[in-house]
Amino acid sequence: MMGVQPFETIVGAHHAEIYRYIRRVTSRATEAEDLSQETFLRAYRAYRTLGPEANVRAWLFAIATNLTRNHFRSEKRRRTAHLAASVEGREADPEGPEDEARFREAKTLLESTVRGLPLKQRLAFILRKIHDLDYEAIGRSLDCSAESARAHVFQALRKVRLSLNGHALPPETSPTNMEQPR
Amino acid sequence: MSRKPRTCIEIEADLVAAATGDAEPGAVRRVEHHIDACAPCRGEFRRYREIDGVVGALRGAPAAAESVARAREGLESRLADLKSRLVSYRVFPSPLGHILIARSELGVSLVEYLGEHTDLGASRLSRVTGVDPQEDGAEIEALHRELLEYLRGDRTRLEWPLDLRLARSDFHRTVLQATAAIPYGAVTSYAGIATEIGKPAATRAVAQALRWNPLPIVVPCHRIIGTSGALTGYAGSQIGLKQRLLAVEGVRAMGTRHDARVARNTLYHYDRNDQHEYCLPTCGDIARRPIGPVTLLASRELAGSLGLVPCTACRPDLHPLTV
Ligand SMILES: [Zn+2]
Ligand SMILES: [Zn+2]
Repeated sequence: MMGVQPFETIVGAHHAEIYRYIRRVTSRATEAEDLSQETFLRAYRAYRTLGPEANVRAWLFAIATNLTRNHFRSEKRRRTAHLAASVEGREADPEGPEDEARFREAKTLLESTVRGLPLKQRLAFILRKIHDLDYEAIGRSLDCSAESARAHVFQALRKVRLSLNGHALPPETSPTNMEQPR
Repeated sequence: MSRKPRTCIEIEADLVAAATGDAEPGAVRRVEHHIDACAPCRGEFRRYREIDGVVGALRGAPAAAESVARAREGLESRLADLKSRLVSYRVFPSPLGHILIARSELGVSLVEYLGEHTDLGASRLSRVTGVDPQEDGAEIEALHRELLEYLRGDRTRLEWPLDLRLARSDFHRTVLQATAAIPYGAVTSYAGIATEIGKPAATRAVAQALRWNPLPIVVPCHRIIGTSGALTGYAGSQIGLKQRLLAVEGVRAMGTRHDARVARNTLYHYDRNDQHEYCLPTCGDIARRPIGPVTLLASRELAGSLGLVPCTACRPDLHPLTV
């Protein structure tokens, strides 16, 4: 791509995804709203200094991750978020055929396990598994190497596996079929 | 309780990666090879495959569209606010000491002499409200280069878009706009500008407005002097700067630091006569008449570019001033 796109294009292309990322990490709509806005305000300030070959998406995720980590650095806030998460975690909908219900239950359990992960593991897991960032980019977001980023995801998956222990899952699930139509 | 075999422990990370679609091809082959022979790991592999299915479902679950839209709406308004406040700036050395240049989205909003200082704290940018200063090299670099060319005399125009937000009032803005129209190498007076903007009695207010000129050099307030020819105030009391800027344009001043006057006998004079004729300073009493009604010009080329013709009485074309 030649040259630098207008910042409005960047907002249009990435805002929703960044919002969803932060929303998943913080569990609270007001925090996600504020932090996602803050991400783009920071990005706007630095945008002109960004090289034309820069990966804008990975760069935005790095800013968002940084802001989120700073946000969580206050232990008090973290506890409040946790509380909110455990409340919101009970919104699972038990309707549907048995397989689907089991699947939903697993999903809910997975979500709450992810919320309970140490912050770096949680961020690495979400960046990799939900947003498909490569380990180089995740490492840059978390101020660590690509290998450490990979190790964080591995640790996260082990914990998820433990928390789903004894929980029957549909074998070789094709998850897209289980999702409700959008 | 039986211990997991060493090979199984060693392959665990690759196994998890392979089962969740996240492994290098080499690792995938190692894992396949291992689980062919190891039933417990085969079970683990299957389990992680199932988990990956559940994880995949998280991707498909979008946050409510309306909360995304609300966040976006809030962003747009905060962004608009930031854009209106944001000015990027840079401080750089020049022959006139350190100079700060700042610009907004609209244009250059501040040129400021900082003397020996190099920090934002010394600038009025740090004191005005409603402005969000941000240091930025690249944006200002080209402006910096042009300004240095100008100060060397290699450039006679700074065709920059201007943002007059730091002017203190609409009256100040009007004065700045009238001042910006005075060409390179020409000199008029505060009274002359006051007349120009239709407020002939407002000479002192004009001087005050130029005292607060946020864009010295670019809005050439150094070309505005007292009616008697005294350089009077500049950037506080830095008459020396004013003298140097005028000298670059070929306008000479004589006298002490505190009482410098333009050397009228080295400049052409134009008294706004209907014939558009410009004169030598020796033409009649023209050199004794107040500046303002009389404009001083550094060169015949300048006079020509303004559409003026040589006076038929004193003939500046036949007797050009030698500097
Ligand atoms: Zn094994
Ligand atoms: Zn004459």
